[in-house]
This record gives sequence, structure tokens and C-alpha cells, in this order.
Amino acid sequence: MKSKLTWMLMPLLALVMSFSYAQEKTISGTVTDQSGEPLPGVNVIVAGTVTGTQTDFDGNYTIMASTGQTLRYTYLGQKTVERTVGASNTIDVQMEEDAEALEEVVVTALGIQRETRTLGYGTDIVKGEELVKARETNIVNSLQGKVTGVQITNTGGNLGGSSKIIIRGVSSLSGRNNPLWVVDGVLINDSQTPGNGSRISGTRDFANGASVINPDDVESINVLKGAAATALYGSRAAGGAIIVTTKRGASGEGGGAQVTVNSTTRFETLFRTPDYQQEYAMGSNGQYDAGSVGFDWGPKIVGQTVDNLPITGERGPLTAVPNNGIDDFFQTGITRINNFAVADANQRFDYRLSLTSTNQTGILPGSSLDRITIGLNAGVKHNEKLESRFSVQYTTTQSRGTGATGANDPNIISYSSFSSTLDQRLFRPWIDESGNQINLVTANNGNQTNNPFWIRNENANDRDDDRIFGNFQVTFKPWEKFSLTARVGADLQDDRRLIENSKGTVGRLFGDFISDNIRRNELTSDVIATYDTDLGEDFSFNILGGMQYNSRIFERQQIQGVDLLIPELFSPANAAQTIPVRDFAESRLFGIYGSAELRYKSWATLTLTARNDYSSTLPEDNNSYFYPSASLAFVFTDALGIDSDFLTFGKIRASWAQVGNDTNPYLLNFNFNPVTTATGQYGLNLNFPFNGALAYSASNTIPAENLLPEEQTSYEFGLDLKLFNGRLGIDMAYFNNKNENQILNIPIPESTGFAFRTQNVGRVDQEGFEIAIDATPVVAGDFSWNTALNFSRVESEVISLTEGLERVVIASAFNSVQVVAVPGEEFQLYAFPHLRDEETGRPIIDPNTGRRQAGEATTLGSVLPDWTAGWVNSFAYKGWSLYATADVKWGGVIKSSTVESLQTGGLVKETLLNREGTFIDTEGVIVTRDGDGNIIDRRDNDVPLLNAQDFWTSLNDNSVAEPYVYDASYVKLREAGLSYTFPSDMLGDGFIKGLSVGIEGRNLLLIYSEVPHIDPEATLFGSGADGFGVERASIPSTRSAGFNVKLTF
Amino acid sequence: MKRLKYILLSFVLAFGALSSCDEKLDINTDPLAATSADPNAVLPFVFVQYSSRKVTELGTRIPDVSQYISDTFNSPKNGNTSIFLTGNTWGMMYNQILGNLSLVKADAEAAGPTSNNVNAIATILSAHIFYELTSLWEEIPFTQALNGQEFPSPEFDEQEVVLNGIVDMYDEAIALIDSRPAEGNFAITANSDMFYGGDMASWRILANSLKLRALMMLRSGGANVDAQINATLNQPLMESNGQAAFLEYSGQPGAQNGMLTIITAFFGPDNESQNVFGPGDPIDEILRGSGDPRYDLWVARNDLPAPGIDQFPDPSTSVLSNNIIRATLPDMLMLPSEIDLYKAELALDGFAAAGSADENYRNGVRNNIKWWGQDIPGVIATVSDAEIDAYVASLAPPTANDVFEQQFLASFLMPVRAWNEVRRNQFPVLATPPASTISTILKRFNYPPDEVGSNPNTPANKNTDVPMWFENL
Repeated sequence: MKSKLTWMLMPLLALVMSFSYAQEKTISGTVTDQSGEPLPGVNVIVAGTVTGTQTDFDGNYTIMASTGQTLRYTYLGQKTVERTVGASNTIDVQMEEDAEALEEVVVTALGIQRETRTLGYGTDIVKGEELVKARETNIVNSLQGKVTGVQITNTGGNLGGSSKIIIRGVSSLSGRNNPLWVVDGVLINDSQTPGNGSRISGTRDFANGASVINPDDVESINVLKGAAATALYGSRAAGGAIIVTTKRGASGEGGGAQVTVNSTTRFETLFRTPDYQQEYAMGSNGQYDAGSVGFDWGPKIVGQTVDNLPITGERGPLTAVPNNGIDDFFQTGITRINNFAVADANQRFDYRLSLTSTNQTGILPGSSLDRITIGLNAGVKHNEKLESRFSVQYTTTQSRGTGATGANDPNIISYSSFSSTLDQRLFRPWIDESGNQINLVTANNGNQTNNPFWIRNENANDRDDDRIFGNFQVTFKPWEKFSLTARVGADLQDDRRLIENSKGTVGRLFGDFISDNIRRNELTSDVIATYDTDLGEDFSFNILGGMQYNSRIFERQQIQGVDLLIPELFSPANAAQTIPVRDFAESRLFGIYGSAELRYKSWATLTLTARNDYSSTLPEDNNSYFYPSASLAFVFTDALGIDSDFLTFGKIRASWAQVGNDTNPYLLNFNFNPVTTATGQYGLNLNFPFNGALAYSASNTIPAENLLPEEQTSYEFGLDLKLFNGRLGIDMAYFNNKNENQILNIPIPESTGFAFRTQNVGRVDQEGFEIAIDATPVVAGDFSWNTALNFSRVESEVISLTEGLERVVIASAFNSVQVVAVPGEEFQLYAFPHLRDEETGRPIIDPNTGRRQAGEATTLGSVLPDWTAGWVNSFAYKGWSLYATADVKWGGVIKSSTVESLQTGGLVKETLLNREGTFIDTEGVIVTRDGDGNIIDRRDNDVPLLNAQDFWTSLNDNSVAEPYVYDASYVKLREAGLSYTFPSDMLGDGFIKGLSVGIEGRNLLLIYSEVPHIDPEATLFGSGADGFGVERASIPSTRSAGFNVKLTF
Repeated sequence: MKRLKYILLSFVLAFGALSSCDEKLDINTDPLAATSADPNAVLPFVFVQYSSRKVTELGTRIPDVSQYISDTFNSPKNGNTSIFLTGNTWGMMYNQILGNLSLVKADAEAAGPTSNNVNAIATILSAHIFYELTSLWEEIPFTQALNGQEFPSPEFDEQEVVLNGIVDMYDEAIALIDSRPAEGNFAITANSDMFYGGDMASWRILANSLKLRALMMLRSGGANVDAQINATLNQPLMESNGQAAFLEYSGQPGAQNGMLTIITAFFGPDNESQNVFGPGDPIDEILRGSGDPRYDLWVARNDLPAPGIDQFPDPSTSVLSNNIIRATLPDMLMLPSEIDLYKAELALDGFAAAGSADENYRNGVRNNIKWWGQDIPGVIATVSDAEIDAYVASLAPPTANDVFEQQFLASFLMPVRAWNEVRRNQFPVLATPPASTISTILKRFNYPPDEVGSNPNTPANKNTDVPMWFENL
């Protein structure tokens, strides 16, 4: 793999070498500030190129440039200076302070632009270029390690899978922890419509809504974390907001259109593979069985001849397949992302059109994802008073062969689906001319197991998703200080899925399919008026008022067809039974809002906001809620007149806010629902009409009489420092959120005839500390090193539920494993441990069997991390740039069912211990009790189990999960890359204006983890659930490496 | 400039149209749900949901407790009743079934005597569910159940109280049936009453027969219910298979018995090839060599040994036959053989009203063989009347244990009933499973965590080998 890559890059490198440097000369000089003091850290670049350097501590610099080129000097707080290179080899520059320059502008709630220095809350900006380094197909993953206070989880190596982001921990017990996504001021849906079936009956993790945002079109992402930042979003703001600003048109160098082409090719391989044992064959209790897939408790492999080799059934010698054949099954995935963008702008208009194609084939055979994204962003300044702007993104995605996850679905293939003596190559071909499955695995007792290539190639797991979102906006400025903006945005999603089991699939012999059409629409319109004024010399005042209308519609029509007549025909008429399901939900929100910003002498800013929401989901006579916020920004360096090279800039910020969390529609009425399915164990359901009868069932939930939105009250303090003339930036925040009125379906005794009552109860608090450090520790000549470190510690504690309620299930997995909310704790993993001796902590052994026993179900630790951190480094030398991002998630637990299956199946090396001899669980203790149950004697366990298999397979008896619960901490090298940007003079006067090439990789290295065999990041739950800390049969995650070429014309 | 104003004006108007007024917010009614439902729409849910969960949960997991099947997946036989087994069953019975039935009943009560028929059906089904609940957990919420308004945390009643209450419910149902007005009765559609198509005379027989079942439990527990038993024996009881209460499975997709679909979903086409359900040792011991036609009807490869306790069948053992483990296997709630054999048991104990022990015993055996060999819907292999008569004639006059043995056979594939019979009769004597963590066979379920967590009145769990009151040990 590696050698192939090097080989591919060779021509490019050769190209680099053949350019000449002939016309360049060395320019040097000193940069000083207006008082004549040397300025270190000034950026000096050759305009139109990426050749650049920084001044050293004495303000000196040297740079290579040619006569006639322009040198540009930029520095925070100083006006930009340009000098043309002439005959002289020395250029000294004196810079001038620029009051405006410090006013870095960010896009905040509702698309409002604000100067950073006036913000009373922390913001985290990720620039577009950070997102396209080792580009991800799900934009959420690109934020990994780059932003303080966010936690990102995904479900493994599934193409087109979902990623979940939560900001500053969990605030809601009711599953509404996902932040609001806003693109160019318009709310878009980040919902994940759950896959078909359940995690228990097998499901597919399809992408979350925001995953289609195209990183190539993103100018910046601003992560709004605190309630004060999101307060203008009112009743939907408690989970934070992610504000995406797309790129606008800009003219190219010297005017005219700017065309960029950005092309990436990467190769994906398995990130981590289990330590398979290769000494023992498939089977049980030392007896070989050709059908014992994923259960290698057979005889020692010594080349013995068996009558029925796996798959072929032929007589021959039993041999181990290297790495259990996973390399013959999983393939190298290929990702190709090509972006073409054309942009132009003049004083009246700007325009950017972007076309991106993404083509992926996954490591799972038969999996692929093809996506085309077209983005348009255009604005016209009609005259001094009127501007209009239009932006739209259309994305069409076809994903094929999404892997099944969960359990009880024949399509699930995980690391435990392989065996020491099962040669995957023998599975080909998987289908005969008549379309029947061939080369199945047949057990000694005649039971058959599917050919995995049949599963992957014949059973469809398809999703076709079309998505359009965009907005139209007009700004009218009748007077200098007044402006009126009206904006209408829409987000339309059309999601079609086909999940199918071909006739002849073992476990689904008669064939079935689910055709599922999902539509989500979101419409948002805003009218915003702003007025700016100065109140005397020192005060300025800015007010804003507006209103918003938001409507969300979810609609789903699904047809399930069972028992097919013609094998490959997925029409309802071809199915002996069809089960239609229809679902619909609509909610609307009307909000009026306002904000007032009072500034004093540019160093103190007080911002007050207020919003009143009217929601369709709340009782009609009580549907109005008010959300206030106040924030203060105080630039103490300016106020106190501090002017030193050590402390360049310092700001203290404080904020207080109250925001809400929206409620789902239809929670207020007691309903009888038409039922199409009568549920059974193992997903063995019956369906209506049954014997000709339709069915209705009463809701199992008693609705709330008067439901309120969840309420978050939050305060935050922050400190923003720039030291050593901006070479070191430190941003710290402390926050405290109180989340009350949690909307919960409280479990009530089912003996009342109902299972739940919807109520506002309970409280969750979040408290945390974040620090982000951005530094340029080394600038030496052409070399510079920039490093950014972020650290976040968040504790989301469940303070109370309701009286008498010990815990609430947040998400349920398998075998009695649940994620629960327990007062006084973070979200906990709740499962069965082994029965342990209180005094010694050792497992108590059953003296009759030598086995461990199950204890009472209990909490086994928080599923949320203690802290997360990211470390981004970049090194630049002339045109070379090297970067690497590492991230850490520390603390929390994970229960891995894949590890459980690997161990109970005797597939991995740790199960080799004592395979032949007597097996005694030496960790265990045997206790003797008196008549009252008191322990009167303890002795080391001396009762042997039947064998090693008995030990490993009995560890999870009675749903015990404890042996598979691990510390979920990990340290990963998330991304790394090396790129070279050609200096413009090397490109000559041709039409290529910029060229950079690079190699890059993602998910490169697992630096630390205590979880064996699998990627500790994998989770079972998709982005739609609040489940964390449980892994089951996840699709193995991947490591990817490749190269990137970027051309500018 | 004029044009500009128009553009602006039209934009504002367009915007205004989108966000006009408060009416826009009045949309919070689910268009796909109803605020009330006809009993004809709710009863099918009750029949089918009960059967769906019972067959797949209890029917596939606890048959090896009473050992009519040799081994099952995720069985509680070794002493640990999983929270899914208990939680799913409890939730289905109390929430899905009793919850809906109580709403049907409340509706019928509000409608008055013309809805007595619906009220009686809801009452009979509710009483049966309570009977199964107390069979599984002994003490259960009964007198305070299903009334969250007044009793948000229902107290648990002793088994004797529950069983007496169940008997009263059957009496109440019979009284409702007997006091129906001559006309104007609510029209129960044939499809929605999945037992009897709205025939209230059949429901009356079922109510009386189920009442006898509850009284037999009370009697076993030591309560003096002789008078009530005599009274019940004098009322019409089930006599022929035509009166049996069962849910028919058409065998079409979505209407296939879970005993088969667990095999087709996870293994292969049928039980005989996939070796999932095998005969339990007591079944093998009673039937092998007995000449009982049920042996061939139920057990395939029956020249081979039975799999043995805690063992799944394999090609070297006998296995339950595809005759019975099939898509169209009905879910049986009550068969007349049960009544015949109660009568035989009572006659042996001196109840004159029960008639002849010998005659009832033979009727019980005959009715049960006829069920499996002739009358069961979708019958495959049949047994002729002559064969049945010859076998019945060959039987010796019964002892109590003979009756108990037949009661065990007559509860085949009825998970709760079979368990009740082996606990009530202590016969056949069942071996404790080899890997059991308790001293006897499983005697009870533990309470599910959901009820424990939300109802402070839930009693502490007893060990799962502690006998229930009705065992009278």
C-alpha cells in the first residue's frame, strides 16, 4: 500500500524538482511599529503566492522574491502594508496601528455579524481550509479534535453512516441533545431517521441530516456553545448551535474569474484487526464442526484430515487461514473527492458555483457511496440601499450496501463472523446461474450459514437521498443607520431506502423487502431590522428586532413486503404480504426577538437579547415562552491602557441566559393508534390485518396536561488573552448550565394499565471548563510552527428525576445493557456484573460448576468522557506544510459486544490459555454461608470448569456484561498531511495560478486504548439516539491515506 | 426606485403570507391517530398482541421449565428469569392487554346494557390475563390495578385474593351475558371476536370453564371452594373441540405461529431439519411405547432417543414433528380435554357432580387426541376415530397420577398451563436441570425491573424456587 502511494506521487515530485529558482533574490529587512519598536511575528508574504515568513523577535525577516513582486506585511492590530520589490535587497517597514484591524468579525446567531471583541461569550471558529484537510464525507467528523467542548461519536466504518455531535455535554433526558445546524442563517435538519427495524432486530445506520454540508463550500463554522450565544434561537437552543457560513464569490488574482480544482484520492484499510488465534479449529468442546462459524472451540489444528472441510465439504487437511481470512473478505476502500469551483466578484456582484463529486467504495464488499453536490452562492448590490443574495446547495447521494448493525439480522457481518479454518476465498462464487445461493457453510448437523458474499452482493441496503437547502435574502438600507433584512430559507429532503433480503437467504428464506420513503421539510423565514447609532462620543448603540417563522414536516411511507414470488422483484404485488406504515409529524414555531447592544469606547459591550416563542407543540392557551439573555465583553487591556509586548490583548466576558428545548408534536392528546404490527420476542411479529381484522391500540402514555419546553439557565465566564504580540492566544471559559423542566415519559407502574406519563420533571446540570491555546512557538526564517491545543472538561450530572424514580432509560441496547439517567451521576451504563464477594471484590464461584455467577444489575460507570482534548500542529517551511491533529477522549466506559463474541467464540488469542488442560477460574473465590446467609468461610476457587470453552462461554451467562466493559479512553492520531504549494513564479505565466499537492491521512493511529481488538470509538447508536458507550457488531472502522491536488486558475 | 419598492413590497407580502397568524399554530393533532376507538377495532389488537407475545416469549422460552420441550433459547429454567422475559410479559399483560381491555370495558359500561356483550368479553379476557399473571408471579396488583387515578402505585394482592377475584370476574361476565337486552345489542363483528365471532353462548361456556380452571387452583392452594366447584359443574362447560378457545393462524406471512417463525427466521425451513424443538423427557417417557397416537403426531424420528433434559435435538435424537410445529399451529387458550380431566380429578376426589372419573378420563384423552389428530385447524397427519377408540378402550381405569399425566399431555404447547399443572400436581415428577442454580424446577418469575422501579409497593423478590401459594407445599 505504502509503496504504491510513493510510486503514484513520484511524477508529481519530479515535477517539483524540475522548476527553477533562477530569478529570485533574498530580500531582508526590519519591521517596526509606529513608535519604532521592532515587531516580531509579522507575516510577510509574496503577494499572489504562498511564499511567506514571519519576523523574528527583533522584527527581522528574510524572504525570497523576484523584482516586481509585491511583499505584503500583515499583523494583528496593524494596517496591512505592501511594498514592491525593486533593485534593493533591503526593505524596512514601519507599520501603523489600525483600530479596525482587531475587530475580527464572526457570524453569530441568525446570521448576524459581530466583532469578536464585543462578544460576551466564547466562540469557536473552524475555517473552511481546516475542514478540507483530509476531507471527510461527513462534515461532523471534520470537527473532531478542533473545537473545545464538543464530543463527536460515529458508528464505525460504515459508508454514509451517521455522526453525532454534542456540545458541552448532554442537557436533555429526552433525546434532544443535538445542536441546531444553521447554514447561511437558515435552520436545516440534522435529524437521523432511524434505520429500518430496531437495533435488536438489526438496523442500518444512515447518515444524519447535516452530513451533506459540503466542506469545500464552507467558509467557516462557528460553534455557538453557551446559551447566551444561542439565545436568539429561543426554544430550540439548549443543545447549542453550529453556524455554517458558505463561501462567497471572490475575484481571482488581478481580477477575473477564479477557478479552483481540488482533488483527493484516498485508500481505506481496516483500522484495527483482532488478534485472532490460529491454533484451534472451528467446532465445540474440541470437536471439529464445519459449520461452527465464529466459534473456534474445535480441536488443535495439526494438519489432520477431516471428511468435511468448511464450505466445500470435501475431505482434506484442516489448516488455519492467516488472520482468519479477513483480508480476503474486506477490500481496500477508495475515496475520490473532486471539487470544481468557479467564483467571481466585482463591486456589484459576487458569484460562486461549486460542483463536487464524491465517489467511495467501502471496505465491505458491495458498499459504495456516490454523491454530487452543486452549490451556488450569489449576491448583487443593486445600489447603495438594496442588496440581495441567493444561495442553494443540492446534493444527491446514492449509498449502496450499507452494513447492517445490531443483532438478529442475517446481514450482519462483524469481526466475530470469521473463523480460523474458514477460507473466505472459497466463498466465491456465491451465486449460480439460476440465482441460487451457493458455497454456503454447512454444519455437521446440516444447519446452513449464509455465504457472506451473497449477503453483501445480493441483499440490497440502498439509500437514495436528495437534498436541497438554500435561502433567498434581501437587505434594504433606506437610511445609513437602518437596515431591514428579509430571508426565506428552505431545506427539503427526500430520502428513499430499499432494504432487501433475497430469496434464499438463510434466516429470510422466502425473501422480503422494505421500501421506505421519507420526506423532511423545514421552512424558515426571518425579518430582521437593525438600527445603529452613536450616543455621544463614547457610546454607541445597536438594536435589532425581528421575527421568525419555522415549520418542520416529517413524513414517511413504508411498505414491507414478505415472501416474494419472483426472487429479484421488489414490488408489493410480488409479495405474499405487504405491511404499509405511514407516519407524519408537523410542528411550527413563531418567534419575535430583539437584541440591544450598548458599547462604551470600544472596550465595553453590553448585549441584551430577548425572544418570545409561540409553539404549535404546546397547549394552545399556554404556548408562549420568553427567553432573555445578557452578556458583557470587557476589553481590559484597552480600558486600563495596558500596552505591552507581553499582553497584547485581554478580554473578560460574562454572560447569563435562559433558552429552551423544543417539544415534539402530538404529545398532548390521548390517542388510539392504528396498529400494523403485534410485537413478539426476537422480532417475531404478527401483522394486521390479521384474519381479516384491523386493529387499534390505546397509547401507553398518559399525555401531559400542560407541557412546557425544557428550560436551560446558564452562565458563563471567559477570558481571552493574546500574548507576545499575538504569538500566543489563550481562551478560557467556565460555564454552568441548569436544565430544568425536562420533558420525560416517566415510567409508571404498568399495573395501572399504562406504561408512561409525560411530564416536566427532573434536572440535568452541566458544568465545565474549556481552554484553547493557540501559539506560534517557533518562527525562524522560512520555518514556522503553529500549535493549537484545546481541552474541555464537562460534567453533565443528572440532578433529579421525579420522586420515587430511581432511573430513567435513555437508550436500550442488548442483553439487559442500557444507558440510564440516575440522580447524582452522569449518564450511566447499566448492566449485570458478576456476583462479587464484598470483602475481597472477587467473583463468587458456583461450587457446583466452577463458573462465575450473575449479580444484580447495576451502574457500571459513566458513558460520557471526563475530558476531551485536541492538538493541532502545523509546520510551514517555504511552500511546504506539514500538519497533524491528535485527539484524546478520556474516561467513560464502553461495553463491546464484538469483544464479547470474539471471546465467547474462542476466536482471539487470550482464549488459548489452558485449552487442553484443567481450567480453574483462579480469580474467583468460593464462599460458605451459614443458615442466615452470612459468609463464614472463603477459599480460593478450586473447582474446575469443564474446559476453557466453558469458562469463556459462561462468562456472559444470564446477560452478564461486566467482562466486556472497558475504559473507553483513547488517544488517536486523527489526521496528518504534508503538502507543497508551488510558488507562483515556478508556475510561470501560464494560466495555472496556484498549485499545491499533498499526501494526507485520516484515523491514522490508535496511540492509546484499553479496549482490545476493536476501535474504541465505535458505538452502536446512531446520531438519532442518546446512546453512548455500547458497541455491537459495528462495521470495522478504517484508516485512510491518499493524496490531494489543488489547482487554482 | 419605483420598481424597487414593488420588489420590496411583494417580498414582504410573500413573507407575511408565510407567517400570518395564530391559526398556523393550531396543528398539534396527529392526523394518523384517533381519539376514540370502536371495540371492534381494539379487540383484534388484544387477541393478536396477546398471542404474538405469549407464543414468542413464553411459548419459546419456558416450555423446558415444565419440560414438555427438552431445551429452549434464553430459558429461565436454571433459576434466573431475565428482565426481558419478565418485563415483556408483564408489560404485554398489564399495559397492552389489560390497559386496552379496561378502556373497552369502561366504554361498554358507559354505553349501558346494550354493550353487555362487549363488556363480558373484555371481562373474561381480563380475568384470564390476571390468572396468567398470578400463575407467573403469585402476588400481583389486582384490586388496585388498572386505576392509576386512584391508585398510582397499586398494591399487590395475595394469590388467593387474586384467584377469588378472578372467579368473581367470571361470575360478573356470566351475569352480563345473561342480562343482555333482547335487541339493540352492540354488533360485534365476526372478525374482531377471534374466538367465537360474537357468539355469546360460547363465551358463557368459556367463562364457566375458565372459572373451573381458577377454582382448581384455589382448591389446590387449600381454599374451600367445593360449593363453587359444584355450582360450576352444574353450568354448561366445554365438552367438544368445537367449543375450544384458540387463536387461529392462517399461516400467511404475518400470521404464522412463532414456534415456526423462530426457526424460519434464524435457522431454516422447519423444525425437523433444523432441530430446534425436541420432546422433553416426560413427554418421551409417557408416550414412548404407550400406543398413544399422539406420539407419532408430535414426535418425529421417534425411534431415536429423546434429546434429554437441557439438550437441543440433533440428527441422532427425536425431534418435535413438523405436523405440529407449523405456521398454522393455533394458539390454544383452552381445550375441552382440560375440563374432562378436571372432572375426572374431581370425581376421584368424590365430587358427585363431576360424574364418573373413568368416563371423564377417557373423554379427556379422546378429546385431546381428536384435537391433535382431527380437529386442530390445519391438521396434517390425522388419526382415525377407530384408532382413537381402540387406544382409549385400552386404557386402564385411572389413578390420580394417570389423570395428572393426561393433564400434563393435554397442556402440551400451552406454556403457562403446563407449568401450572406440574406445580399443582407435582406430577410428573420433574428433575432439576443439570446447570440449575436453584434447588428445584423454576417455581416463579421475579418482578420486572420496570415495575420494581416505578411501584414502591412491589414486594421483594423471592428466590425463584420458592413455591407459590397454590402449590400448597
